[in-house]
Amino acid sequence: MMNPFLTNCTLTGGLANPAPDFLAVAQSLGYQARSLGFAVHSQAQPMQADLSFHIQSQGGTSVQCTVSRWHDVHDQTPVTESILQAACGLMSVHGRATGRAQALGLNYVSTLSAALALQGGIAATLGQLRGLPMMHSHVAMSAAALLSVGQYIAGATAEELPEKLIPAQIIHPDCPPFVSADGVVFELETLDAKPWLAFWTELGIDKPLAGKGWTAFLLRYAKAIAPLPNEFINAVASVPYGYINELAQRYNVSVCPVRTLQERATDADCQRVFSQGPWAFSREDLTTALPLRTGSRDNLPLSGLTVIESCRRIQGPLAGHLLALLGAEVIRIEPVGGDPLRGMPPMADGVSARFDALNRHKTIREIDIKSSAGKAEIVELVRDADVFLHNWAEGKGEEMQLGASDLQAINPSLIYAHAAGWATDNTEHTLLGTDFITQAYSGVAQQIAQQSGKLGGSLFTVLDVLGGVVAAQGITAALLERQLNNKRIQVKSSLISAATLLCAEPLQRIYSPDTNEPTQTSLINSVYATQQGLIAIECVDEASVTRLFAALDKSDQSQQLAKLLLSKTAAQWLTIFQAVNIPVAVVVEDLTDLLNNPLLQPCLTTSSYTQVISPWSFS
Amino acid sequence: MAITVNIPTILRPLTDNQRRVELSGATVQDIIENLEQQHTGIKEKLLADGQVHQFINIYVNDDDIRFSDGLATAVKEGDSVTILPSVAGG
Repeated sequence: MMNPFLTNCTLTGGLANPAPDFLAVAQSLGYQARSLGFAVHSQAQPMQADLSFHIQSQGGTSVQCTVSRWHDVHDQTPVTESILQAACGLMSVHGRATGRAQALGLNYVSTLSAALALQGGIAATLGQLRGLPMMHSHVAMSAAALLSVGQYIAGATAEELPEKLIPAQIIHPDCPPFVSADGVVFELETLDAKPWLAFWTELGIDKPLAGKGWTAFLLRYAKAIAPLPNEFINAVASVPYGYINELAQRYNVSVCPVRTLQERATDADCQRVFSQGPWAFSREDLTTALPLRTGSRDNLPLSGLTVIESCRRIQGPLAGHLLALLGAEVIRIEPVGGDPLRGMPPMADGVSARFDALNRHKTIREIDIKSSAGKAEIVELVRDADVFLHNWAEGKGEEMQLGASDLQAINPSLIYAHAAGWATDNTEHTLLGTDFITQAYSGVAQQIAQQSGKLGGSLFTVLDVLGGVVAAQGITAALLERQLNNKRIQVKSSLISAATLLCAEPLQRIYSPDTNEPTQTSLINSVYATQQGLIAIECVDEASVTRLFAALDKSDQSQQLAKLLLSKTAAQWLTIFQAVNIPVAVVVEDLTDLLNNPLLQPCLTTSSYTQVISPWSFS
Repeated sequence: MAITVNIPTILRPLTDNQRRVELSGATVQDIIENLEQQHTGIKEKLLADGQVHQFINIYVNDDDIRFSDGLATAVKEGDSVTILPSVAGG
């Protein structure tokens, strides 16, 4: 079941035979566009320099979209998924929990790049319809990768006590997921210290130690580490999972086994989410014509549009941030006194660098949303807004009389957006819908574990980031649908739907084993130690393997590559291998080193911390 | 010797930009009351309904007071009290 959406739009482009660098991007792009209702016409890609496609709408618009490897569209330095993860700091952040930089093992940057490229094209189409002179939208894969670690870059470069978290220098081999006595690997979540204390007390952890564990546990979302004392790992390792689950239910702690993708595929909602794509839209005809809001600010495609955001933490704020980067005026509602996360170290110019990375382009309104005065204030804001975005718990909006029907009664053309944890209404389970639980439940953790030699998922917020991108993309698509077809729209996206998007290709193989979609396989794909620094090498064909060994001056490929690479530094090998067009990158271990890479410098700007600029450019 | 309270950057506008404030008191509650006496407005940033705000952590030396006696946690001369906003969940 596809969303009956944007059916009067077509996407035509070189999805049929892209350069290997763009294969995963092209596949995800085709899947996402079809899910949105686009008629997709795959053509042979005339140039291998980039991935290009154009979007046409019934409104007579035509936008040319380009995905390039690097910010400079002419730079042909080869990339692969792993190479971008190495060069842009993802390997470093993911590797903090295990003490060594390594790839996620999923087509993460490719999926993000496809989502951002499609969103850019949709936004530019809307811009054209609103009279803005934009014909072309561009996204670089490197910019998508940097965007995903923007918060971590902020933390590493803040002017006040920047974080120095380099995988090889972090010694704490034990971290979630946990393993029970009967061998069940599971993730655990609570957002409150009280249930944490009650749960661990039952398992024999004393109060002061539980406090130290809580401090360590809280570091996951901010720093991608969780240096729990060994006693925690040992406590759950001595009891069966059934007992752990019983305790978790008693004390309102979420536990979830790390499930396989096959298990996830059999869930009642999975095939529906896979078929409809990561958004659930509902729409009705508007009886009144939509006022045309023409764009202005910097000629960005969403300029002149207003988004009201009531979101905490990462996924929702990132969605708002992306809409602001596209030109929307984003008004962020914070509790009276401001969001406490504004003060989360490290600080830059008086505000948390990590917080600022997601919220710097927003106007802040402090409102007590539970008070009647606060609700009245929101109603006034919504009256002239285009989008209302929240990430409240399921049903809370209706409870506060700030649900879709309440706000669309005030402003019928308002797009009501919910960036949730789960795709269903949460009646199936009571698990907290946070990143790490969703990774475990969705099969993403198991996919990462399989590829990374870990027990479970990543402490890099894989799904919060992709979930934020997907939420912003759904809102942008809804804005275009509203403009084209005069509709009143609700859109819901979730972390679990982002996980489904991320695993779309393996899910496709599970649901349709006879599918003949080409899959990207690598002959060499690893991180190697050198005389100084780490180097990532990924060869996707025999020809590049031959070139690699020729560059090493070794015709005998049986010689151990790892041993050969110890004779020079990573920087020296980079020069040698790039000269013969092999996808390689020096693995960025210290995020401050990103600024030293000329290929990445145009995507970064430095003030009181290093900021990742908009991944889009329009012309 | 008094008790040192480390003030996070976000609250420093309320403490005349002082990073550290020296106070006396027998419990964390006393410390917060005394802090409020000297720097009006800081208490409401730390407490809601008489409890430490969910997204604020208060440590006595290295120990989170939620895992001790909460606001009744005893403090003594030479101790250091640190206030830190926290993040839980994505």
